[in-house]
Amino acid sequence: MCILDTILKEKPIETTYIKPQSCKINHFIKMQGKTMEKNEILEDILAEVDKHPELMSRRDALKFMSVSPVAASILASTTVGAATAVASDVKGKVVIVGGGLAGMSTAARLKSSASNLDITVIEPNELSTSYQPGQTLVGGGIWPKSELVYKRDDYVPSGVTLVKGSVTSFDPENNKVIVDGKDEISYDQMIVATGLMLNYAAIDGLTGVITSTSPDNAETKKTVGHDGVYSIYFQDGSEDTWTGIEELIAKAKKWKQGEPKLQALFTHPNTPIKCGGAPKKIMYLTHAQLEKAGVREAVELTFYPNGGKMFGVPEYHEAIVSQFKTRGFKWNYAHNLIKIDQATKTATFNHHWKEKGEWDEDLEEYGVELKNEEVAVPFDFIHVTPPMKAPDVVAHSKVGSSKGWVPVKKETLQHVKYKNVFSLGDVVAVPMGKTGGSARKQYKVIVNNVISALENDQKAIDSTNSKYAGYTVCPLVTSIGTVMLAEFNWTKKPTPMVPLDPTQERWIWWLLKVYALKPMTQYGMLAGRA
Amino acid sequence: MIKQITTITLATAAFLALTACSGGEKAATAKTYKYTTVQVYEKSCIKCHGAHGEGNPAKKTPALNDRTAGEMAQDLYDVKNGGTNQSSGTDHEIMEHNMQKLIDKGYDYDVDSMAEFLSYLAKNQK
Repeated sequence: MCILDTILKEKPIETTYIKPQSCKINHFIKMQGKTMEKNEILEDILAEVDKHPELMSRRDALKFMSVSPVAASILASTTVGAATAVASDVKGKVVIVGGGLAGMSTAARLKSSASNLDITVIEPNELSTSYQPGQTLVGGGIWPKSELVYKRDDYVPSGVTLVKGSVTSFDPENNKVIVDGKDEISYDQMIVATGLMLNYAAIDGLTGVITSTSPDNAETKKTVGHDGVYSIYFQDGSEDTWTGIEELIAKAKKWKQGEPKLQALFTHPNTPIKCGGAPKKIMYLTHAQLEKAGVREAVELTFYPNGGKMFGVPEYHEAIVSQFKTRGFKWNYAHNLIKIDQATKTATFNHHWKEKGEWDEDLEEYGVELKNEEVAVPFDFIHVTPPMKAPDVVAHSKVGSSKGWVPVKKETLQHVKYKNVFSLGDVVAVPMGKTGGSARKQYKVIVNNVISALENDQKAIDSTNSKYAGYTVCPLVTSIGTVMLAEFNWTKKPTPMVPLDPTQERWIWWLLKVYALKPMTQYGMLAGRA
Repeated sequence: MIKQITTITLATAAFLALTACSGGEKAATAKTYKYTTVQVYEKSCIKCHGAHGEGNPAKKTPALNDRTAGEMAQDLYDVKNGGTNQSSGTDHEIMEHNMQKLIDKGYDYDVDSMAEFLSYLAKNQK
């Protein structure tokens, strides 16, 4: 049964867009195990566009697709099947710690770029290559969980060695790692791509420190995924979140005019997080589902971020604020979730602010003093975005840092201390990273730089022409049927070309998110091509 | 003498990709600063962070000579942008506030250039 079909059979939720009529889930399953032709992705989108000529012509769709970097790559022949960088015959041993999207894609591209390399991927989790960006859609009731589950062993590139274990210590001075406390693996070049940990236990009342696909998530499930407390950040949790939203809808149906509104809270912690937009996306989808059920007025939706803005890029910040207003959302900045009492359904936040301090003669200004207080907020439903951290084994090792994340020169992704160590994905310390879209840019830079490092006998690679410019993409799902495609880099400017207004919510980007990004990731990127 | 320096930041631009094209094209954005990196340090930063970036415990200003240039660049990015994530906030709440005041006074700088300079200062202290 296709959930998307079920939703779409009902009355239209908004009139400003048309929902796709068919579900591509079977299509995805059909494609599994075979190489994807580039036009299949594009044709999926164009087929939907063709059904709604009143909304958008095929020509306009192509025009939109060509101005967005990520969409353009769907059109480009580089998406799938194209040759990668010039083949190198360099030899050497490369160890990749972590076989998620970042690590496995790097392995595939390295192998196809330099087939003589001896490449080992160390990854303990058999679901490491699952499709994480879809967790928002599962939580929002658009996809079933089965859409997300992909097995590591199906994605090990041919000619690459997989070690099914965990690195338990790093020894970068002697160019080796220890696996499962006993097996020593040495390397010429190492790439750290372990991903990050969801630190639910850092919140008083919640439990467990897990990854998005940890098989041993029982500890977290004791406190998350039921009784009003939900989180889409892990695969099982995303499925539970949809159950939670359905329960909220059921409660809302019993609500009567004049009663206090049901309270739905959405948090954003004080650490860097993967997919910075997800805390908002699940809020938008909850809103959409409540509206669709006709019970939106029974529920108050409030966003509680630790920070003081919606987005680092001013244009997107303003767009989101206006989207929040249109939907009647509330928001309270500078509130960091510190405690949840499931019995009384109370969330406690640390609310912090600045007050004018003493005159500072060095600054020639008044300084500031930091103030804070605890604020208790009752809830009927809370979506928790957990604090996140680098795995302890990385953070406390020589390749880690005081903040845990692997410190690199952000353009070359080369470790700040060890020239033959590189890092990418969620574990690397670069601003605005931690998305699949960032990893998709980073892994190509790493492949070029690792090969270049091997070929040039470990000289500094700062002069290399392969540099990461901080590109990332956040397809911000703003309703069932619309997405604002936020693309940007370290210059903090929207990257799509003018004259397209990148802050508009568009149906074409919804089609891109729902139909194109998964096949591009699972068939293109994990094969080292997209 | 005040020297105008211009730093070119390369931004990956969108590319019309109907043709095969494997790299992003570059678009240049120029940013001009009032003072050089060294001038900014010597006119302003030095007052609180010291001649060698050693910090001043009496003022609770942290040392800047205890990390690599790569790490420093990350921290300076966080300070200047008020965080590195959509809504997580910054790790440097007080300095974020102060930095905005200093930028108003003309003490803006290129993050990578300042990070390199601080690393140079730290090395020459030892």
